[in-house]
Amino acid sequence: MSRYFDIDDIIMEDEHSAVFFKVGANGVGLLDPSAETNRVEQGSRVELPFWLANELYLRQAVSVNVPPCFNLKTRREIQADAACVDLRSRCPYFYELGCKVAPLIGDKTIGSFLLYAFMNRFKDILSKAHSAAFAVAPRFLPLLTKEEMQLYEAACSSMTGFKKWRVGGSRFEKASILGKKKRSSE
Amino acid sequence: MYGRRASQLLKELSTCEPGQLTSFNTDVFDQVLKECNAHHLELQSLMRKIQEEELDVQTTKNAEHFGAVIHHLSLMRNKRCLMAYMYNRAQIIQSLRWKLGPVLPQEIQEKLNFSEEEYFKNYSAALESYASELELDLTVDMVPPKDPYIKVRVLDDIGDVLLSDQSPNLARHSIHFLKRTDAEQFISQGLMEELLG
Repeated sequence: MSRYFDIDDIIMEDEHSAVFFKVGANGVGLLDPSAETNRVEQGSRVELPFWLANELYLRQAVSVNVPPCFNLKTRREIQADAACVDLRSRCPYFYELGCKVAPLIGDKTIGSFLLYAFMNRFKDILSKAHSAAFAVAPRFLPLLTKEEMQLYEAACSSMTGFKKWRVGGSRFEKASILGKKKRSSE
Repeated sequence: MYGRRASQLLKELSTCEPGQLTSFNTDVFDQVLKECNAHHLELQSLMRKIQEEELDVQTTKNAEHFGAVIHHLSLMRNKRCLMAYMYNRAQIIQSLRWKLGPVLPQEIQEKLNFSEEEYFKNYSAALESYASELELDLTVDMVPPKDPYIKVRVLDDIGDVLLSDQSPNLARHSIHFLKRTDAEQFISQGLMEELLG
């Protein structure tokens, strides 16, 4: 219930996956952009957002296909070199979606696959977060998923906090919402 | 339809910096509300069709039923998106009270909806009544204190101010030795900066 208002959770559930309708549904034009009538036929293949696919699966109205980000091509790439794979372009919520989709498509190997990918990437993230200067960071940041970005930023902020404490600067700061101060022209 | 527009609202919230606020997007908000009405009308018409065919509404699982289910789920999704939008903005507004004090600067005031301004005022009033019962100002000492007095340089012209133990003239670029609890408010509003060394 605590995830009801969570923005990341809501955006993650918007990820699309292909489903096959096991029943017909009337009066839902626009759900399937290629349908000519105001209904979805039984057996048709539609791209639905995850939240809808999940609920319809629970009511046994659809069967869900594997989302494209977990297909064989991605698996092979991760096995080759996990740290260099651009997961964000495939799916910015790779791990979360994988966890939620696993019971829907009945694939028992997704769990171990996610763990393997995460373990290999995490070593890289951790070492770069603690040591990298800003010049190095932007090269590999676009490859990270949202969850990995949060970890990376947490590590970075704790490093800057530590450095600040050691140097001993001012502890009072202007509220971040005010933004940069505009110097009046003088 | 089907929750796509509502996700736009949330994507807007997620792309801006944490702690920053964008203008309240009344257009998209109203569009989502219109979509909810459309879903509701479709839902009702599908239910009527089931009843006209004299099937039991509770147990039939025909095509109309699933159409109605999809409309109902879209309604729930839109509701969730709208509520999350309001909730997350309300959290930011609450934190504004703690950082900036009871009066908001103009550029932030413009970004708020009318009901959000009311929320801010009521939250501010509740906080003040609680603090006055405790006889303690809760919004100071957000960082553990080290010294009772700190040296500050004034960045903006504030003029004469009456503080608890002095009444200095806070002209621009002047340096003062103020009590930390008084200076903290000014620093977080960007009107002063702490001098070290």
